[in-house]
Amino acid sequence: MVPQNLYYTKDHEWAQVNGDTAIIGITDYAQQSLGEITFVELPAVKKQVKMHDVVAVVESSKAASDVYSPLAGTVLEVNSELGAKPELINQDCYKTGWICKLKLSNPAGMKNLLNSVQYEEYLKSL
Amino acid sequence: MLKPGKAQYSYILNSIGNIIDDIIVYCIADDNYMMVVNAANEQKVKDWIAKVHSEPLLADSKWQIVIKDLKDASLPDAKVDIALQGPASAQCLKNIFGTDLGKLKSFTFTSIETKDLNLIISRTGYTGAKVGFEIFVHPSKATLLWDTILDKGKKLGVIPCGLGARDSLRIEAGLPLYGHELAGEFNISPFQAGYGWAVKLQKENFIGKEAIAKKAIDFQTEVARLEFGGGKGIRPIRQLDGILDSSGICIGHVLSCAGVGDRQIMLALIEKQYDIIDSPVGIYYLARNQNHIQQGRQEKVKIGDSLTADLAGKVVERFEKF
Repeated sequence: MVPQNLYYTKDHEWAQVNGDTAIIGITDYAQQSLGEITFVELPAVKKQVKMHDVVAVVESSKAASDVYSPLAGTVLEVNSELGAKPELINQDCYKTGWICKLKLSNPAGMKNLLNSVQYEEYLKSL
Repeated sequence: MLKPGKAQYSYILNSIGNIIDDIIVYCIADDNYMMVVNAANEQKVKDWIAKVHSEPLLADSKWQIVIKDLKDASLPDAKVDIALQGPASAQCLKNIFGTDLGKLKSFTFTSIETKDLNLIISRTGYTGAKVGFEIFVHPSKATLLWDTILDKGKKLGVIPCGLGARDSLRIEAGLPLYGHELAGEFNISPFQAGYGWAVKLQKENFIGKEAIAKKAIDFQTEVARLEFGGGKGIRPIRQLDGILDSSGICIGHVLSCAGVGDRQIMLALIEKQYDIIDSPVGIYYLARNQNHIQQGRQEKVKIGDSLTADLAGKVVERFEKF
């Protein structure tokens, strides 16, 4: 089940938009494909990212996977708990496994993202 | 000469002494040998054998040779290989077949025939486990055997295991994999891999002998097993990351790496004067993406480069003692 209140990318990131900020993370599909996540490289606070810039790296024994920012903005906050507990992404990728919070430079950018119905359709096509 | 019931690890070499594949040869009878090769090298091996077979100067004229592809399921002696490895494996086979194979010596094998199955069971494997078997079964019976092992082995803790898990085990054990610790982009010889014993230079003749005899002495780098911190929160080490000496000079490259509990165990090709147990070594992570490159991280390193270590570790024994 894909949460309904989030926006998605075809690279399997999600964004929870609240006004001019957004929390971002990777989807259940992404965490399952990676397997046991052992390392997360978080962005620096205040880092500016464009849509689709690499904002984080998630690594498991299987692969190192870049996380692309679903939206453009400035990093306000990172989930520093992931440093010692990267497995939070496996356990609860939509809540405690969030990656970072952005101050959006263009809140309308979410129009380019998939809604939950579209993302679910997309998953079925894979 | 290999005797019936015995198996041997060996190499197929080309005429310039490079490894085409590493294999295990099973002597079924004096005139019948089974060869198990790497799946990735199957076509290469077939082509090579066909070539050698067609050149009278290379082939031994005393023998009329018939070559069969045991993957061909239409053959009555077709085979697939299911490995059952670990301390409970002998007990599991005993529960299934009633035969105690616990005393079967390493690199020997036996046949078992039941109403439904006609098997070769061999004390070989690629996990480093003290006890382990490979079971060769006709493809049409493989599912039956698989299900039987899982069913009868359930209480003993038998679980299905894929190639990734197998790879972690062989890395921890220190066993080389073709393309990584043998041949591959560094063209690693058996001598560099610590397997010089498997090349019988005292034999009168074999293809590639002259060329490989030179490689027996003339090498600067060798495969070493290294240990680093690992587990949660530590970036996994990957193939081709740099190995540094204590002053930050690159002395080699990662070939394979596996997470083992809170450690990372790796096989690396390093300059041989550094391959001393307990010597301190460092890892330099190669750039994993464009951001890393922009931050100045290298995409490739070579021996002699001066770098800063990201993670400290040490040289451990070439093979794990389980």
